[in-house]
Amino acid sequence: MKPTPIWRRLDRLFGSDRVSDVRDELRFHIEARTDDLIAQGWKPDAARMEAERGFGDLLAVQRIGERLGGKMDRRKRMKDYWGDAARDLRYAIRMLSRSPGFALVAIVTLALGIGANTAIFSAIDAVLFRPLPVVDQQHLVIFSWSARHDPKFWGQSDYGDCGEAYHCSVSVPFFQALHAQNSAFSGVAAFAGPLEVDFSGNGPASIARGEYVSGDYFSMLGVKTLMGRALGPADDNPTAPAAIVLNDGYWRRAFGGDRSVLGRAVRLNGVEAVIVGVAQPGFKHLTPGKSLDFFMPLSLANRVRSEWWGTKDRLADPSTFWVVIVGRLKPGVSIAQAQASSTALFRSQVVGNSLFSENDAPALTLVPIQQALSGESGTIAPMLSVIMAAVGFVLLIACANVAGLILARSARRQKEMAMRQALGAGHARIVRQLLTESVLLSLAGGGLGIIFAWLGVRAMTKMVESGFGEPFSFVIEPDMRVLAFTLAVTLVTGILSGLAPTLRGSRSDLTRSLRENVSSIPSGDGGQRIRFGDALVVLQVALSIVVLVGAGLLVRTLLNLQAINPGFDTQNLLLFGINPTMAGYKDQQMMHLYSELQQRFASLPGVVSAAYSDETLLSGGYSADEVHLDGAPPKTNVNTDVLTVGPNFFSAMRIPLLAGRAFNSADFSSGEETNAMVKAADEAAAKAPAGSGAHVAAAQAKSSAPVAPVPVLINETFAHKFFATQNPIGMHMGDAENDDPRVGLQPGYRIVGVTGDTKYRDLKRGIRPTIYTPLVGGHAYFELRTTGDPTALVNAVRNVVVSADSRLPIFDVRTQTEQIARTHFQERLLSRLSSFFAVVATVLACIGLYGLLSYEVAMRTRELGIRMALGAQKRHLMKLVFRHGMFLSLAGLALGMGGAFAVTRFMASMLFNVGANDPATFAAVAALLVLVAMAACGIPALRAVRVDPLVAIRSE
Amino acid sequence: VSEFSRLEFLRGTLDVLILKALVWGPLHGYAITNLIRRQSDDALVLEEGTLYPALWRLESKGLLASEWGLSENNRKAKFYSLTTAGRRHLREEVKTWEAYAAAVAKVLGATQPPLREELG
Repeated sequence: MKPTPIWRRLDRLFGSDRVSDVRDELRFHIEARTDDLIAQGWKPDAARMEAERGFGDLLAVQRIGERLGGKMDRRKRMKDYWGDAARDLRYAIRMLSRSPGFALVAIVTLALGIGANTAIFSAIDAVLFRPLPVVDQQHLVIFSWSARHDPKFWGQSDYGDCGEAYHCSVSVPFFQALHAQNSAFSGVAAFAGPLEVDFSGNGPASIARGEYVSGDYFSMLGVKTLMGRALGPADDNPTAPAAIVLNDGYWRRAFGGDRSVLGRAVRLNGVEAVIVGVAQPGFKHLTPGKSLDFFMPLSLANRVRSEWWGTKDRLADPSTFWVVIVGRLKPGVSIAQAQASSTALFRSQVVGNSLFSENDAPALTLVPIQQALSGESGTIAPMLSVIMAAVGFVLLIACANVAGLILARSARRQKEMAMRQALGAGHARIVRQLLTESVLLSLAGGGLGIIFAWLGVRAMTKMVESGFGEPFSFVIEPDMRVLAFTLAVTLVTGILSGLAPTLRGSRSDLTRSLRENVSSIPSGDGGQRIRFGDALVVLQVALSIVVLVGAGLLVRTLLNLQAINPGFDTQNLLLFGINPTMAGYKDQQMMHLYSELQQRFASLPGVVSAAYSDETLLSGGYSADEVHLDGAPPKTNVNTDVLTVGPNFFSAMRIPLLAGRAFNSADFSSGEETNAMVKAADEAAAKAPAGSGAHVAAAQAKSSAPVAPVPVLINETFAHKFFATQNPIGMHMGDAENDDPRVGLQPGYRIVGVTGDTKYRDLKRGIRPTIYTPLVGGHAYFELRTTGDPTALVNAVRNVVVSADSRLPIFDVRTQTEQIARTHFQERLLSRLSSFFAVVATVLACIGLYGLLSYEVAMRTRELGIRMALGAQKRHLMKLVFRHGMFLSLAGLALGMGGAFAVTRFMASMLFNVGANDPATFAAVAALLVLVAMAACGIPALRAVRVDPLVAIRSE
Repeated sequence: VSEFSRLEFLRGTLDVLILKALVWGPLHGYAITNLIRRQSDDALVLEEGTLYPALWRLESKGLLASEWGLSENNRKAKFYSLTTAGRRHLREEVKTWEAYAAAVAKVLGATQPPLREELG
């Protein structure tokens, strides 16, 4: 083989070319052979032909060569690629471990961004988008009715399954009619609840939540059982032995996962029922966010009843709308067809029962199940979206931060890049190497982010559970899609920020870089890069301002709430509920029980006084009613809150009495008497033929026995609003006047006293006119005023109740302060989470600022040294660095203030007593940021003046 | 060279012959044909078309390396040389081939049938 001439070397300058290689190689063979043959004496043409003949199928061989060549090329490219990648990776690890501070900050920043976002998005996904745990939910519809007017003579109850736009409660007779002729559906099922019932037969009596379901519920939805059987059509028969199916979670919680519960008899409000199964894990309720403890057959509805239900036959009364129907469309049947046929059925039923007239246009709408059953998600979603916005900003800041760090770093490594280029590294190789570094950073951050996400989800679940005081009914798991999304976002950030400077960096003028120590003179190219870094820092500061302002407003909201005077003493107050109606008590028995309990509680050591009422204050619940003021035009009523209370309520709660007197025992006996008469009249009316003589009977009862008006106290607001010019004591008010012909007795009210104002439903709601009426029946919540920690009394209280009647469970045990915290859980969670993210955002922005300035100082070490050697004032040099940092911070501040001004109005509904553009909050945030920014700028500035001129000049 | 003296190549034999031909240094394809022909005293004549796919296959297996160079009469030619792996492969193949050839020779050179019990 001879040495190759130079022009031959250029032959394959642009890489190998397999096709022409093969052709050239074969051509050479033929030519060489031909030459040999000519040398042997052949004629040239004949020699050529002979050479080709001897070779065989030239074209076939050529094709084989091309194919093999292509394969080899690919293999070689792969090998080169992975070899380079491994080298790049080793180099990247070495470079990163040489500056561990940079690597650590970048990785933790990314991890925080990824973790927080994944946790929050997972929560949002669980609350809003998680598919229902049933088979083929896209064919499931909910029945919502509509009409021009409310129906006549009806009772409606719902359990918060449907969104506000729908009326999903219908009567059981309608459900049965639909069930009997459901040509458009492959199945329909009804459910209602959960209803709180007294659950005994498993240790001490407790309150459990049972859902009524029709026999088809399990089979139609495709819900399986973990063990035992599901409820079936046989359970629809009211004479069938009562059977219940436990929720998996309740079975574990209350029965310790005992497999022998099947066949065990329990009592529901005293009605015996047998546990026949445990439902599949993961199925809690059709409505997201609702939970229940067990399923019971709809046919039990007349035996296991709620206190509120009155005397109507829930299974037979067509005017009591209380169950939700879910239907599964038959394949090939459109929603419109099914809607038409079921509307026809609904209309014939309600018109036949004279609930509506034809003119009212009663109709049914079939709503896809996920759209109809919004349940709890309606209240949680807005809260989550605020937090989501905060973490979204944090992720943006994290990305900007890491991009800034990588940029600053690459600026400092310009010399290294120039060196590598000089040593023959190709443009693409340098870009790839730097990319490897940023991708490695992103992946490390992502890995740590997964751990953060997991921890974050657990922490959130715990936080929410402690706030609600019960297991969080949404299942939150770190969502893989969300994780993949956030990982992708950060990876792209890493790649882009790795790419942006390298594209410029690798093009840098290498001789100048090497000769002039570009790192010491930031100009031209370098200056541009710094300006991009500046922009990133300004962005970070601006975003953190937005998060800070949002958090500031939410913290102000919480502080405002806490500063509110509720009008009574909230300290050292133990609250718990008791409901003797579930154990079959009648009103009078209950009153005896309550006064006995009240005495025994009050005599417990550590108890100052005991009281009870039908609601506790600041629980989030309230009742309201209308009254007719004497002298007002007929049928014009005023709306007032109503709280029904027992003896000593005002003194125990420390609500001041402003005029008149508190309730005395005569008030309670008068109230009881009136109550008994009203009830008797109502029952008489209910027994009379429907519609015909109800009001007649009531009128008769009225005329035959005059009824004493109910004694009431009013609050200050009521007195000011309606008795501004008169003394209200001794005044009379009438019951609400309206068109309802089924009016019973109308005893009215007599005002005996005026109390100070208190907050009722929650701290946010303004104080409304309120009347206090004597409690003469029904469930009660006790309030015990204690000398010390109220929770220390819980066991003593339980013992007192058990010794009075072992069938009575106490429930909702909590202190008044816990209750307030729970009622205002949303505000607390929001302010806590948003503060956390605001701190994270601010810290990240400061790291960005600090990092940028530090790099700048490091890059200008030599320049600073020279300036100092030439006699520059230290103060002047400090100012140089400091001023630049503060300029960036103030630019970010201005931008952030504008941004915050624009976006905070979207959270106005979550704020209390503070405007969305509250100047004080904005000013405080600005001041805080300036302080923090000064610290972040000050440290690098100080470092700048500590530069030793000699060392600095020699250093490079 | 008569047609009768051309021996058919057994499968796999070509590979080992190519490797052997390259033991003395890099050669282009045409030189390999000539070398094999001359070294077998014209007994082994390659069908030239089959040589190149075999070369490429060996190259893709990493047993041969190739480089473009100039032939004796200044033509651009592709030269093949043995890689370390190729050398090792050749040694093994030679061993196998010799064992095989010896076994065949033993059978063909036998003068009497094997003993009865040895058949079983």
